[in-house]
Amino acid sequence: MLAKISTLALRGIEGCFVSTEVFISAGLPSYSVVGLPDASVKEARDRVMAAIRSSGFKVPPKRITVNLAPAEKKKTGTHFDLPIALGLIAAAEDSGAVLSEKLTNTVFLGELALDGSIRPVAGVLPMLVSLRNSGFRAVVPEQNAAEAALSGVPCFMASSLAQVVSWLKNEQQLVECVRSSFIPGHSSDLDFADVKGQNFAKRAMEIAAAGFHNILLVGPPGAGKSMLARRFGGLLPPMTEDEALETTKIYSVSGLVGSGRLVSQRPFREPHHTISDAALIGGGSNPRPGEVSLAHNGVLFLDEFPEFSRAAIECLREPLESWKVTVSRVRESVVYPARFILVAAMNPCPCGYLGHPVRECLCSPLQISRYRARVSGPILDRIDIHVKLAPMRYEDWEAAPCGEKTENIAARVLKAIEIQRRRYGASGAAASNAFMTAHDMRLYCSLPSGASNVLETAMNRLGFSARSLDKILRVARTIADLEGSAEIKKQHIMEAVQYRIMDKNDYGGI
Amino acid sequence: MAGTGEIQALLKLNAALPFGADRAHMLVRKCGSAGKVLELSAADLFTEFGFTLDAAEKTVRLMREFDADAEMGLAVKNGIRIIASGDPDYPRQLAAIYDPPLVLYVKGCSADFSMPAVSIVGTRHPSPYGLRMTAEIASGLAEKGIAVASGLARGIDSAAHKAVTEAGGVTWAALGTGLMKIYPPENRSLSEKIIECGGALVSEYPLMQTARPASFPRRNRIISGLSYGVLVIEGTFKSGSLITARCALEQGREVMALPGLADNEKAQGPNYLIKNGACLVENTEDIMACLPAEAVKKKISENSRRAAKKRAALSLSPEASDIYDAIQKEEGGLTPDELALRTGQSVPAVSAALFELEVEGFVCQVAGRYVIKQRI
Repeated sequence: MLAKISTLALRGIEGCFVSTEVFISAGLPSYSVVGLPDASVKEARDRVMAAIRSSGFKVPPKRITVNLAPAEKKKTGTHFDLPIALGLIAAAEDSGAVLSEKLTNTVFLGELALDGSIRPVAGVLPMLVSLRNSGFRAVVPEQNAAEAALSGVPCFMASSLAQVVSWLKNEQQLVECVRSSFIPGHSSDLDFADVKGQNFAKRAMEIAAAGFHNILLVGPPGAGKSMLARRFGGLLPPMTEDEALETTKIYSVSGLVGSGRLVSQRPFREPHHTISDAALIGGGSNPRPGEVSLAHNGVLFLDEFPEFSRAAIECLREPLESWKVTVSRVRESVVYPARFILVAAMNPCPCGYLGHPVRECLCSPLQISRYRARVSGPILDRIDIHVKLAPMRYEDWEAAPCGEKTENIAARVLKAIEIQRRRYGASGAAASNAFMTAHDMRLYCSLPSGASNVLETAMNRLGFSARSLDKILRVARTIADLEGSAEIKKQHIMEAVQYRIMDKNDYGGI
Repeated sequence: MAGTGEIQALLKLNAALPFGADRAHMLVRKCGSAGKVLELSAADLFTEFGFTLDAAEKTVRLMREFDADAEMGLAVKNGIRIIASGDPDYPRQLAAIYDPPLVLYVKGCSADFSMPAVSIVGTRHPSPYGLRMTAEIASGLAEKGIAVASGLARGIDSAAHKAVTEAGGVTWAALGTGLMKIYPPENRSLSEKIIECGGALVSEYPLMQTARPASFPRRNRIISGLSYGVLVIEGTFKSGSLITARCALEQGREVMALPGLADNEKAQGPNYLIKNGACLVENTEDIMACLPAEAVKKKISENSRRAAKKRAALSLSPEASDIYDAIQKEEGGLTPDELALRTGQSVPAVSAALFELEVEGFVCQVAGRYVIKQRI
């Protein structure tokens, strides 16, 4: 009267084995689930009972115990429905007819509808990836088939409970999931050519994309900050398959993999500034990835940056420094990857018109410095490129030629990225100047004497800190890569200095 | 020299009549000493000295309430001197005006008010031109050994103080608040610099008095009173700068003005003064020519700073010179984008040129636009 069915549970974006043990014994009819189930698992009872009856099987009116082992880990999600139902059927059939050899090396995932059909569930891909090379195979809901196939684990799709049972009894075959080939998608169909003027900001974005640098856009309302930011994704190189798999795992955990395809476009996340710190960074009593992880391998755009809550902004420190987020709870702690380019936009002052040629700014210096202080020094330090946008005068706007097309800029960016991939011997975003270690910097950022003089002058006369110099060097390295130059030259440093406006001693006149 | 009791009485009287230094002087003169003024009743003030009944009662009450002992203790603790009018240390120039402050609070122990001084005043919202000329003229005066007096306000005042401290000169700031309540707050560090450089902060208001609208126009008479002449940089018709100019006229001090563009609202004030006979000032030499002979004892020496700038200018790259010329043509300053458009240079080239110019101190960025900081 005991049955054991294998299934999986999620820890962050990794899967782990869970054994579903069902025991039916004599006694008053009852049903209990042990093994730290949460509400969604406890509710499985009603779905499972109805689905079993609808599928033509019977559950004996006896004492039923369901144990989800290992029992000390919290279980959450609706994908336990199918294994629990199978366990009940197997334990109920005296002869153990369902207990075929297939049960020993198969994991089952799926939510049950009351009529016995199987519904899609979240997190299939990350759970299955952990099964690689374990000899196991999986039965997954039909709608998750495409996603499951990406894991590289042999998978079968099922649409109803009855179908699975007859497969176990060797009465019927299940269709194996087939993997579709990977085609990287384009992130953005918006074109930089739509933005007139703002060549400095565009150049800064080109550099940011080429070196995976975080960027801060400062400018009055209407200068084109959001317009540029939304086009930024188009500059990034297509995703590699590994990057796509990583990002898809995160999306799968959040239940956002709609069509069951790999997330092949670099994500572009644009949370509103009222977002809570938990939603931004990930969290909750059952930890879920936040916006920073959903932007993994892509772009996190934070418009009106100082309007975000102080706590939310400060939370960005960890992902900006270590490219991952650790969400710790009493029972467990999970790690979500979060390697993204931060594109932040802000006004120069609370009213927005500081430095506007026509409209007068009414903010007092105290208000302005308070507003800017909301973006703390440590955060500013982690943003490599700061660029100011000015509103255009009509005559300049009219005279400005149409901007360069995204594809042309992206081609230059790709060249610079290939240089970096060769240099760091890695693929994907990890091979970027923004992630250089101190050792890398000694190797690749040596300066000819002319250039180091420039750096010294910048430090002494413009008041840059040692940390700013480090950022200037990284950005200068990217500028040199864009030019195809092996060594950092004087003019590269001079340009890079222009992208540290927020560090200068005096950033607004008197 | 007044005794401690007399100084306490003066402090009480000063606090009771914050906007009536002339009346306070009249009371002291008629009664013989400030101590005697304290003995007057409200009825005396009403019948004998022409106070209204309300004002008389208020004055008597305020005199009684003001804690002069605490005030003196606070002053000592914070290194602030209290100089009564008639004291030999009282600034001689200031003593000569019609209604000098009854007592003067001075912070800055090495301040020497016998130095010749010129006041520089102007708007709180200056143009880049105003800022640039203020810095140029103020540092020029500092090098010639002339003190610069101003009001520590935002804009031109701060620029003048800042330029003088950077040139290592002496500058005096007359505040419209008590010396313990520096306003605007962002100028606190500037005020410390002023003192470090041998300058002083002065005020006639009790130490803890916060900003009041009426106190600022009143302190303008101290700014002009401390100096031989007042230079108005920028300001509209209604601005406080014109009040200072009027004070200067009443006090028999020189009025000078920096010409501005006719269509600039902020040039109305100085241009109006020039039309009415103020001395037109383009550089430090023009000011020196206006000052009385006793103020200009030192022979003007060759300006070594400017010569060094000239040398630096010669070493600029051709791109940087082009950029400089383009910025100079546009009064409101130019953004890097506009510079790239106008000069036809690429974005990286403009960046490099701006770096050169900025490091040499020829241009600076004001709210996203590059403006001329110092002329070549």
